[in-house]
Amino acid sequence: MTPISLHRFSIHLGQRVLLRNCDFSIEAGSSTVIMGPTGTGKSVFLKSIAGILPTKIFSFEGDMQVNGFNAYSAGRKLDFRAWSQIEQSGLMFVPAETAQVMNPSLTLDQNLALLAPGCKAVIEKRLNEYFSLDFEAFARLYPDEVSGGEMQRITLMILLSRSGNFILLDEPTVNLDRNLRKHFVDFLNKEILAAKDKTFLMVSHDLDFIRKLTLDQAYMLKEGDIERLESLPEMEGYEKPEAKKGATGTAIELQDVSQTYFKRGIFGERTFTAFKGLNLVFERSTIYGITGPSGCGKSSTIKAILRLMDGTKGRILMEGSDLVALKPGETGSDPASFKPFRRRMTVVQQDSRFSFFPDLSIRESFEQIAAAGSAGTLEELTANLEKVGLTSAHLDAYPQSLSSGEMKRVDIARALTAKPDILLLDEPFAHIDFETRLHVMKAISEYLAVHATILVVVTHEDFDLRYFVEKSYDFPELVGQFTKE
Amino acid sequence: MKKQFNILRIICLIILASPLGLAWLPVDVFKNIVPSSFVESGYFHSLFLSFRELSITLAATMLFAMLLSVMLGYVSVLSMHVGRGFANVLNAVESIPAILVALFCYAPVSGYLARHSSSASTTMSLLVFVLAATVTTLPEAVRSIAIPLTDLYNQKYSLSFRSYGFTKKRILTVLMNTALMRNTLKRVAAGILLKTLVLDCSFGFIIQLGFGSYGTPAHLSPGALIAAHRDALFEGGTPILFWLPSVMLITISVAFLLMLNDRREENA
Repeated sequence: MTPISLHRFSIHLGQRVLLRNCDFSIEAGSSTVIMGPTGTGKSVFLKSIAGILPTKIFSFEGDMQVNGFNAYSAGRKLDFRAWSQIEQSGLMFVPAETAQVMNPSLTLDQNLALLAPGCKAVIEKRLNEYFSLDFEAFARLYPDEVSGGEMQRITLMILLSRSGNFILLDEPTVNLDRNLRKHFVDFLNKEILAAKDKTFLMVSHDLDFIRKLTLDQAYMLKEGDIERLESLPEMEGYEKPEAKKGATGTAIELQDVSQTYFKRGIFGERTFTAFKGLNLVFERSTIYGITGPSGCGKSSTIKAILRLMDGTKGRILMEGSDLVALKPGETGSDPASFKPFRRRMTVVQQDSRFSFFPDLSIRESFEQIAAAGSAGTLEELTANLEKVGLTSAHLDAYPQSLSSGEMKRVDIARALTAKPDILLLDEPFAHIDFETRLHVMKAISEYLAVHATILVVVTHEDFDLRYFVEKSYDFPELVGQFTKE
Repeated sequence: MKKQFNILRIICLIILASPLGLAWLPVDVFKNIVPSSFVESGYFHSLFLSFRELSITLAATMLFAMLLSVMLGYVSVLSMHVGRGFANVLNAVESIPAILVALFCYAPVSGYLARHSSSASTTMSLLVFVLAATVTTLPEAVRSIAIPLTDLYNQKYSLSFRSYGFTKKRILTVLMNTALMRNTLKRVAAGILLKTLVLDCSFGFIIQLGFGSYGTPAHLSPGALIAAHRDALFEGGTPILFWLPSVMLITISVAFLLMLNDRREENA
């Protein structure tokens, strides 16, 4: 039985052709990666195999068989019964944003029982062995009480430990830090790829990660065509973008900052300390990188500087003003004294799909955002879109029709258009392939050359540290021992 | 194909829920379709009245409960303290069986219902029932709105939109108007209708069994009609007197279930 077989299969997104007359098949038990530039349609292709692409937005041509069953016939997606057979035949799709599979109103334990019945023991063992995570400590928590990285590890393990014969894995390393990435490579090589009892099809742009896996074959998806690669591309030839710097001088100083938050437990809410004793200075015109394991408090620091969290103690000084004193907690609106600082700050959050209104085009969203503050003009946004490798056509796209990488770049263009004084980037290059990433880095560096900005980047990736960041901090080292109360 | 399926689905829903609309047509319309002896009987008149009252109950409860649910759901997410307070009260209400809540609500007005004329008593009975049905449907409805709204706000949109300077109030208003929340509200409305239908009929059934036609409250309902004609199933009876309102109630329930199950294909 051939796990996947395509005959003259095409995928269209409106007028755009993402896959053109493709003939493609892989053998049972083989391991394959599909690479390609951001926005080329890698994830869309994987989702078409999983049968989760909305037919309202995408249209198809040609035939596809999955695990021996017809999935698409003459461009028509077959009915629920046919797809149920495919699901039951052992198809396992693992999305890039794995946390989305979790039901927010169920605990992690209940979610596990729902997603991977009968697999709890093996999941617990694997989480402990490869990710040093004790599932029992999280079992009674709800998804919103767990950090992004912890959630990524737990859901990855739940989804990959289900019983099945055909794994579809979409950009699995997006939220994994460098250390965990190594363990995840070990896990995939030992538990999934070695036995060759499951067919493995992954899409990823992360060349570092791909190189470490024992894969049988690699393909490149570019401009609608899938081509087999004889060998993996080399990572040489990347040069760190140079840009002249603007004015320097101390700009933000964190003095003895600590951050606490609430977690629900069986005996009510408990206070947890994300970090304490954080002392840090960010000067203008320098690209600061913050690294560290998932869940150590990097994203919380960004939110604390933005003053969008309760439970911040210490002082965050900017030009003599203490931002914590100006806005001690998050009540859903900003006091008048803090509003001038709010206008000067911009963030690119981890998941850029949620940076724009869900039912509006990018243009309409931007007009509303611009009306709320100093977001710049549409012309400036168009210019910045071109700098990050996109076009003005993206202004009329809707968030759900853009790939994760394209949304990231649109969000970065939006952030640069706001001409911020403080630019906070939380995993800004996730989902963006290395070549495109360099264009985006160059666009940010050029902005920094003109505007003496405070720039802080939270990142997991070696590539970003090597080619973009000028001064990096290891977060656990900054805050000393990780403590809980 | 999808469009045709949607049209077919809407037609099915209208047909299944049609007893609620047909009850408002003049009885004369049915004289050419149904035997005149049946149309002129008191049963046919009661059947029409009961479904008319049921449609009023459903419409009034849905409007009132939806209004309250949207308000409480929105306020619960806007203020965590208020939300927790509501959650405690609503959880307490939910722990009491709906039928007991309905009977409890009638207790303070039982004297009024017994003393006043039929029309005043019926109006008061309807108002009290709408209140009772709203109270029983509220906990689930508020939760069904607050959970996805909290998820959208806390997990997805709060960081970016708050950093743009939008207030939480404005972000929540925007999120309430998204396609996802509109679909949620549609399902919540269907849930309220279904729960109210079940409560109305079971309450009418119990009142009819307990008090017969002499008792209070004067709750005219298809459930009461079914209870009044439960003997029709025995030998010598006319089974259609029992089955006609039963089948009509089943079709209406199926319509609400179909609405409840309407989960639109989410965007990738």
